[in-house]
Amino acid sequence: MAEHAAVIGIGQTKYDAKRIDVSQFGLIREAATRALEDAELGWKDIDAVVIGKAPDMFEGTMMPELFLAEALGCVGKPMLRVHTAGSVGGSTAIVAASLVQAGIHQRVLTVSYEKQSESNAMWALSIKMPFAPTMVAGAGGFFAPLIRGYIQRSGAPDDTGIRVALKDRLNALKNPYAHLKLPDVDFDMIANSPMLWDPIRYLETCPSSDGACAMVIGDEKQARRAAKPAAWIHATNMKTEPTMFAGRDQVMPRAGLECSAELYKKAGISDPRSEIDCAEIYVPFSWFEAMWMENLHFAPLNEGWKMTYEGATALGGDLPVNMSGGVLSSNAIGASGMIRFAEAAMQVRGQAGEHQVDGARRSLGHAYGGGSQYFSMWIVGDQPLA
Amino acid sequence: MLAAKHAYPRRWPESTKRGTGPDKILPPPVADSSLLSQQGVVIMAEFPISFTLEYPYTRTLGPVIGPFLTALRDGRILGIRCGDRVLCPPMEFDPDTGETLRPDLVEVGPSGTVENWTWVAEPSRKHPFQEPFAFAQVKLDGADTTMTHAVKAVGQAAMSTGMRVRAQFREERTGSIGDVYFVPEDDARDQSIAPGEGEVEISTHLISLTYDDTLYPHAARYAQGLLDGKFIGQRISGDKIAIPGKGYDALARVMLTEADDVELATTGTVLSYTVLTPVKYRGQTETEPYLSATIILDGAGQSLTQQDIRNIPLDEFRVGMRLRAIFKPAAERRVDDVDNDWMYPSIGDVVERWEPTGEPDVALDELPESM
Repeated sequence: MAEHAAVIGIGQTKYDAKRIDVSQFGLIREAATRALEDAELGWKDIDAVVIGKAPDMFEGTMMPELFLAEALGCVGKPMLRVHTAGSVGGSTAIVAASLVQAGIHQRVLTVSYEKQSESNAMWALSIKMPFAPTMVAGAGGFFAPLIRGYIQRSGAPDDTGIRVALKDRLNALKNPYAHLKLPDVDFDMIANSPMLWDPIRYLETCPSSDGACAMVIGDEKQARRAAKPAAWIHATNMKTEPTMFAGRDQVMPRAGLECSAELYKKAGISDPRSEIDCAEIYVPFSWFEAMWMENLHFAPLNEGWKMTYEGATALGGDLPVNMSGGVLSSNAIGASGMIRFAEAAMQVRGQAGEHQVDGARRSLGHAYGGGSQYFSMWIVGDQPLA
Repeated sequence: MLAAKHAYPRRWPESTKRGTGPDKILPPPVADSSLLSQQGVVIMAEFPISFTLEYPYTRTLGPVIGPFLTALRDGRILGIRCGDRVLCPPMEFDPDTGETLRPDLVEVGPSGTVENWTWVAEPSRKHPFQEPFAFAQVKLDGADTTMTHAVKAVGQAAMSTGMRVRAQFREERTGSIGDVYFVPEDDARDQSIAPGEGEVEISTHLISLTYDDTLYPHAARYAQGLLDGKFIGQRISGDKIAIPGKGYDALARVMLTEADDVELATTGTVLSYTVLTPVKYRGQTETEPYLSATIILDGAGQSLTQQDIRNIPLDEFRVGMRLRAIFKPAAERRVDDVDNDWMYPSIGDVVERWEPTGEPDVALDELPESM
């Protein structure tokens, strides 16, 4: 039986297109110091640090974990860097949690970040690189055909994606850290925005953000001692599959279906739709909310879009999704997965402010990356799992 | 033409079965296109590939490195107070405790003492000097830590631990670490430096890497197939055909050989597509919206993604449509961008266009599942 682990501190930076007020050091320290303050701990109290970010190409910094070690107070302590493409923020949190669950450490700081303004992700994801994935037209060009495949299968109405984007953009207005805030946003503004990668419109797409997210994960003793409520980690899970493979279903990847099914089993959940109060999931392009509702077993196959359509995923719905505004509103790529995990924890800690789901006791954090091939997820609750 | 014969063992030798990737580290390409044998694997060298990756990255310098580089531009070297020490180069935080430092910057140097050094006898293109020089750890007067930097000395014999050096500033200064270098104190000359304008807040770094590689045998056969106007896949478990093959069957965990190669049809069906509206970025050449299609060749278990469609009007294009690859004339076919990466494979620049065959569309519920 693993040890209990819980989120006892959370820190986020303000997300923005260009954080030219801070260096990469300053960016990660902004999130990390806020997480330490939230946990009422200092640098000296931390046993180990786990850092994550997306491909080194994004900033052109080879192995940034090395030059960031001192900035994260790691001198004389263990440090790990995690990389699983866009899902990295989630898998980084899971690695940090596992160090506590294994009984190795009592207080682990985990941080993930991206400073997209120091390069251009469209370039980094479009150029032909040796020994690495190439997407001829960035992530949008890669995922758009998968979305069209989903629409064909499910018969979802054309405006499903617009409805997702509208919901997330309205939610973002309630989140002080969100990057993209459009106070006047409405259905028509999104519908009339330029078609970038048909069927993905400009306002159905995530922005490029600078930002970092951090969490302090503690053991049971730390969690019970902490002044603020802890978010107890009930279950974590990760799964991987190849990007291209004869017979692979890229629209509804098996890795995601199996990852979530196992996650629920570990957390003692038999009916996720009714037993989970809210979810922060990785939706970089609007339609992925509908697709992931199915991949996460919240809806039967080909019916995920109905949840968006019926308002189930809205802040007042029966399964609010991306209360923070999601990846569509803030996308510091390496941090995006950890933001999902942290926002899920904020909900059960009751610290989500204006975008708090009333009475949230159990929530899901989800991230995916690569060509829909890396999945990482966790379930957190306001009480430890019995 | 490829003269090579495959010589893969059909199965992994037991001794290498675990923990050994199928693709070996390759020796460099050979000029005479003969076969190289390494650990029983025969390598074909007809397809050497080279690639340069280059981008002008920027760095936000922040409240400490920004003033440090601004001062270098202006002919001064700054350290930062950290407790009772002075750190140079300065940092935003105490490296021992992680605590944030107040930006209390103090001038150090310009002279200092060499604590350690190494001689660079054969400088590379990116070194600070093109003639031999030393890299040294210099503890500047007034600082408690060393800065690693270049020392320009007449020869290795002029270098010693404990020697005194002095900063010299280059004529052209941009607010970068290369604005300064060191010389033995006796070689130093006095300089008069006029301060520049404004603060240095963001620096730009052109990062450039060149890779050389050689196509693996299965990839070379695939590339040769493209040059010959054919799509070559490989048969894997479950009677599926992967295109391109990986040279191994990941499910059965066996090596594939030329005997597993299968020539696929040049006809296929549109599984999906997107219309791309070009976004501006460095190197972008597209200006108008265009179609990018996912096409599954008849008999293939895996689709070809990102196929450019320029000859069919956007509003006539549809899923289920039957297309045939019309190859370019043999002399114009290029496979420069085919590499060993099978994750997002390229079919090179060999297809002139995908032309409608005129057959009826494949019904949506009859499309292969491997989207």
